[in-house]
Amino acid sequence: VGLGKVRSGRVSMAVWDLSVTVEDLGADAPPITVSVTSDLHIGGVILKLVEKSQVKRDWSDHALWWEQKQQWLLRTAWTLEKCGIQADAVLIFMAQHKSLRLGLPNGLTLRLRACFSGPVFRTVLGICKMLNIRRPEELSLLRPVEEKKRKKDKDLSEELHDLTEVPLTSVSRPCLYNGMPAHFADSLQTEKVYKMLSVSQPAPAPEAIAKLYRPASVVDKAHIHSRWLDSSRSLMQQGVQENDRLWLRFKYYCFHDLEPKYDVVRLTQMYEQARWAILLEDIDCTEEEMLLFGAIQYHINKLSLSEPQTMTSSPAMDDLDSALQGLEVKLDGAESSPQDMLENLTAPELNDYLKIFRPKRLTLKGYKQYWFKFKDASISYYKSKEESLGEPIQQINLKGCEAAPDVNVAGQKFCIKLLIPAPEGMNEVYLRCENEEQYSRWMAACRLASKGKSLADRLFQSEVQSILSFLAMQQTNPNTHTDDSMSINTHSLVSPRYSKKYKVKQLTPRILEAYQNVAQLSLTDALLRFLQIWQALPDFGISFVVVRFKGSRKDEVLGIAPNRLIRIDLGVGDVVKTWRYNNMRQWNVNWDIRQVAIEFDGNVNMAFSCVTADCKIVHEFIGGYIFMSTRSREQSDTLNEELFHKLTGGHEAL
Amino acid sequence: MDDIDAMFSDLLGEMDLLTQSLGVETLPPEPPSSSSKEMNFSMGFADMNVESLNELEENDLDALMADLMADLNDTEEKLAAELGGQKEAEAPHPDLPPASHGLSFYPESSLSTPTSPERGPNTFSAPLADSPAPIFSPPTLPQHAKLSTEEIEAQMKADKIKLALEKLKEAKVKKLVVKVVMHDGSSKTLMVDERQTVRDVLDNLFEKTHCDCNVDWSLSETNPELQLERGFEDHENLVDPLSAWTRDSENKVLFQERPDKYEVFKNPQNFYLWKKDKKTIKDMKDRDKELLVEENFCGTSIIVPDLEGVLYLREDGKKSWKQRLFLLRASGIYYVPKGKSKTSRDLVCFVQFDNVNVYYGKEFKNKYKAPTDFCFVLKHPQIQKESQYIKYLCCDDAWTMNLWVTGIRIAKYGKSLYENYKTSMKKAAITTAWTNRTAGTTSIPSTPSPTTKAKASGQANGHAPQPPAEPVAKVGNAPPPPPPLLPTQILPPPPPDPVLPPLPPPLATKKSPPATSVPRQLPSLPTSFPPSPTSMANLPPPPPSLSQDDSSESPPDFLPPPPPTLGFGPGAGSLPPPPPVSFLPPPPDPGFPLPPPPPDPAFCPVTNRDSLPAPPPRQSNIGAGAPPPPPPPPSASAGLQSIPSVRRTGPPPPKRTTPPLAAPGGGDFMSELAKAMAKKRGNQ
Repeated sequence: VGLGKVRSGRVSMAVWDLSVTVEDLGADAPPITVSVTSDLHIGGVILKLVEKSQVKRDWSDHALWWEQKQQWLLRTAWTLEKCGIQADAVLIFMAQHKSLRLGLPNGLTLRLRACFSGPVFRTVLGICKMLNIRRPEELSLLRPVEEKKRKKDKDLSEELHDLTEVPLTSVSRPCLYNGMPAHFADSLQTEKVYKMLSVSQPAPAPEAIAKLYRPASVVDKAHIHSRWLDSSRSLMQQGVQENDRLWLRFKYYCFHDLEPKYDVVRLTQMYEQARWAILLEDIDCTEEEMLLFGAIQYHINKLSLSEPQTMTSSPAMDDLDSALQGLEVKLDGAESSPQDMLENLTAPELNDYLKIFRPKRLTLKGYKQYWFKFKDASISYYKSKEESLGEPIQQINLKGCEAAPDVNVAGQKFCIKLLIPAPEGMNEVYLRCENEEQYSRWMAACRLASKGKSLADRLFQSEVQSILSFLAMQQTNPNTHTDDSMSINTHSLVSPRYSKKYKVKQLTPRILEAYQNVAQLSLTDALLRFLQIWQALPDFGISFVVVRFKGSRKDEVLGIAPNRLIRIDLGVGDVVKTWRYNNMRQWNVNWDIRQVAIEFDGNVNMAFSCVTADCKIVHEFIGGYIFMSTRSREQSDTLNEELFHKLTGGHEAL
Repeated sequence: MDDIDAMFSDLLGEMDLLTQSLGVETLPPEPPSSSSKEMNFSMGFADMNVESLNELEENDLDALMADLMADLNDTEEKLAAELGGQKEAEAPHPDLPPASHGLSFYPESSLSTPTSPERGPNTFSAPLADSPAPIFSPPTLPQHAKLSTEEIEAQMKADKIKLALEKLKEAKVKKLVVKVVMHDGSSKTLMVDERQTVRDVLDNLFEKTHCDCNVDWSLSETNPELQLERGFEDHENLVDPLSAWTRDSENKVLFQERPDKYEVFKNPQNFYLWKKDKKTIKDMKDRDKELLVEENFCGTSIIVPDLEGVLYLREDGKKSWKQRLFLLRASGIYYVPKGKSKTSRDLVCFVQFDNVNVYYGKEFKNKYKAPTDFCFVLKHPQIQKESQYIKYLCCDDAWTMNLWVTGIRIAKYGKSLYENYKTSMKKAAITTAWTNRTAGTTSIPSTPSPTTKAKASGQANGHAPQPPAEPVAKVGNAPPPPPPLLPTQILPPPPPDPVLPPLPPPLATKKSPPATSVPRQLPSLPTSFPPSPTSMANLPPPPPSLSQDDSSESPPDFLPPPPPTLGFGPGAGSLPPPPPVSFLPPPPDPGFPLPPPPPDPAFCPVTNRDSLPAPPPRQSNIGAGAPPPPPPPPSASAGLQSIPSVRRTGPPPPKRTTPPLAAPGGGDFMSELAKAMAKKRGNQ
């Protein structure tokens, strides 16, 4: 002790020169040299440096980066000696926040200023705060898949949305202005960025989808997961440079506390990530599921185009809205009661000449024309209009029936195929309409009737409209190109596999069929439905890593899911075994031999080394999911950052 | 006696017919302003002919009367309430359900809380909740106070018209008289209107039967012609499926305990971890079970068990059964075509669930030459007879069949299933609490885990009627004062319903030769009676081998959950962070204990249960299990079938093939009814 005191005491220390490159002076500027002693603390060095540079500006965001050691010198109270810095150290004085090109789940790129000095976990918190995404711990950054350089069509004019001008300090408090966080309301440009974040993107061109990278196998998928950045180290430490490109993605597939009211951006980006995962076949689904996904995408596109206002809703606005709605209902109830109710009791009808065809085993009779009346969820038909006051030839109750389109716009064929349940089975009936307009009304009526609703239902008109707009889509013959903004190439709603399998002509009616079941959803509900179906897929939420189990000679795949680990045979793709986290007692990482060892209840042990990804990534995934599972039990909304690092950090963290 | 029985069953046959002919809506031509009460019913019962009324058994008449009166009162009350502009409280069941006078409570619970989610504002129930006429509710809209008297008068007039119209609408509400076959084979006749859910009807039946209200009680339908059976889900509207029955249908509605109903919430591991070895499944800790339920039912999306396996499919139209590899997904059942892989993109959709229900098939080995009797069927609810549109599947064992049927229900009903379960739990808990209190037992909710285990072993040993013996010995150390007799006993029933004087004929007399028309196929179906909640808890009929394991290995389970070796376990529930163990030196490090499973059962942080009153979910065990078991009632299942067989010998029902067209009103129903009753009384 005494010795130490003597040494650090008043013994005048040698003065030596420390040269520091100041990034802001430009690449060519020579380093600035300051005279220091070993007991000078970092803050002192910075002070001298700033004085000497003679540049007047706000240096508060700047810090020293030690090039050889690849580390920041952020503890300003530490002395040079304590940090171990000597004259040969190459130091750079630079801003901690730098511009970053951030690829969003929706495929667009945003330029913003991100923290390069804190652990990536903290960086992501900052980014999410700026983008107004709650629950940032579920997201992380990864290096993008290299795009195949096609020099020809690469004119580098990729649209960049810029948020670098947003002062970092203004992000601190989320107050809403005009339905969006205040820091977006500063300029038209940032308002546009917010819209980009909070409204789902229009359907991409089928060619664009086909061009993008698609993982072809589970190994390909595993390689994607080798790209995650280490949450416990900073961007600089991981070799990320200013203006580099990184992807922001949802990494942990357990979405806590999703609240559409506050999670506009989060929900939209989640949807985008899910949509792309499906379009790019990152997650497998069946044909029926794909068609339903296609239908919901179509619906979401349509709603996003037609009612962009919904997105700029704030809690306050919502309250006002609901209050207004409540008022409306009340007025409705008060004013229109007798008339409305009478109307409801005497439901409107449809009357038309239509052709009917009932396929029976032995008859080849074609369509016959009758006078049809639609009323109260059932159809009656008569020989002619004149006889419609008498007894119908037949009355068909449509409740519980299936109504499917049998339409060929080009061939001007507008049939409704009805499968009507009866005690003996299902009866097949075809109704043939003259034109789109007639078809859309009768089809809408049948749809409503099948759900037990009458024409009086206010959904009728919107149902008619959506059928019409879908019919319009089928007119995408090259010659009769409609300029209807609603028309979408249905190939852009499904993955390339189905684009190849079906022509637009075949695909559209099937998507239309699926669409009928979702057509009435609101935008938020449609987003949520899409996510629900996504989450219900068997492979949902599994991140793959190729590993080598201890004692095994071949590579296998480890699937990491929110609640379990899955051992998958690489060859067959079969699940060999699953282990659930809540049976887990402990896990260890041997950083020397890069091996993860896990012990489960009942003395079950397993160990593996990682092939495609660093074992830190696997460690972080497991720890991360454990962390996520602790959230629900915690009452408070505050993020326990320390716990996250404890669970995911590994030895670097300590 | 025989005569009476025969006559009785005839009558029931009649009733059945009536049941189906009811509810055919005929709009009365009367001017809306006439608010005669009878109107409603004369319409509803347009088809009921007088003769049949005269022949009705008095019980039934009385019951019917009671229902009708209740209905009337109810309508009146509603209107009154509406006029008063008060939201009639939904009458949340108080802690102590007034079980002693069932009926006074009944109309409220069953009728004033109609749930009609789908029918929306068109039905009468909606206005009750949200459209108190503004004029009558100054507190909400004070400005109305300033209206001139003329305006007020005008409004009142408008309001009257509105009310009249609502009555009209009310009149349009479809009502069915439903005969429910009870667990003991007797039957009860209820009136059900189309807004009532199965839950409402169950509650109604609880009031009427004073059974323990455990969650397994359910209403199910049987279709003898197709040999099908299906438990209704609590959220379904009862009238809907019943309307699909044909005129001459022999279908029945049963009120019975179905352990399969909510098994998935009691033992989720059987469904979600079915691939795991049996020991893991059996040794599942309660906390882990809760976690599983939470994981699969409380997230943003309901997770369907990932079932896959070879099932037999009955070929369309052919007699043969063919094996195929089927997979269950949330979007439907798929199969793997020949020569293809199991990857999603190769799967062929076999059926989606939007338009079909899942049914258990009974004795298909006989009927369709199925490989086993463990069959289930998917069909549109309206299909009632053999048809190519019915899909028949056959499993190797009951366990597999249960997996699939439950899996399909989860896929089809999703969240509703869980909501139903929670509602049932609440109901059961309230009842149990009440039972306990009256019993005066010192029923401090004993730690759940030992009880559960005891129950498990008890169940394995034999069937339910006996099991109480062992576990009860433990629990019942403090001899509880004799509990109130279980209401379903023959003993003096709880104070008779004021309007429903005689309870249905003594149950015992119903014990007739076992019939087969509604065979109990599920091994899990209750052959037991009251104390069953205990035995039900892990009843999903696992293959027998499993239950044997169960009994042989149960002893260690009695111990409180072994504290995990690490310092992390107990009390970790809320504060997961483990002592920061250093990761630094490679292996010897004791490692990193895990937060998630705090094995402490007393700590039960499942949020969903928050709303439950004190007793923990398994409380019902205590209520039912603690008191010395009452003598088991006459075998419930045996008695059940006698009626139908006899009944059908009655006059051949009029067959109708066309859909019923609304027949014109058949006169004043109420007065006929009164006459009929008078006649009955006179005869005695």
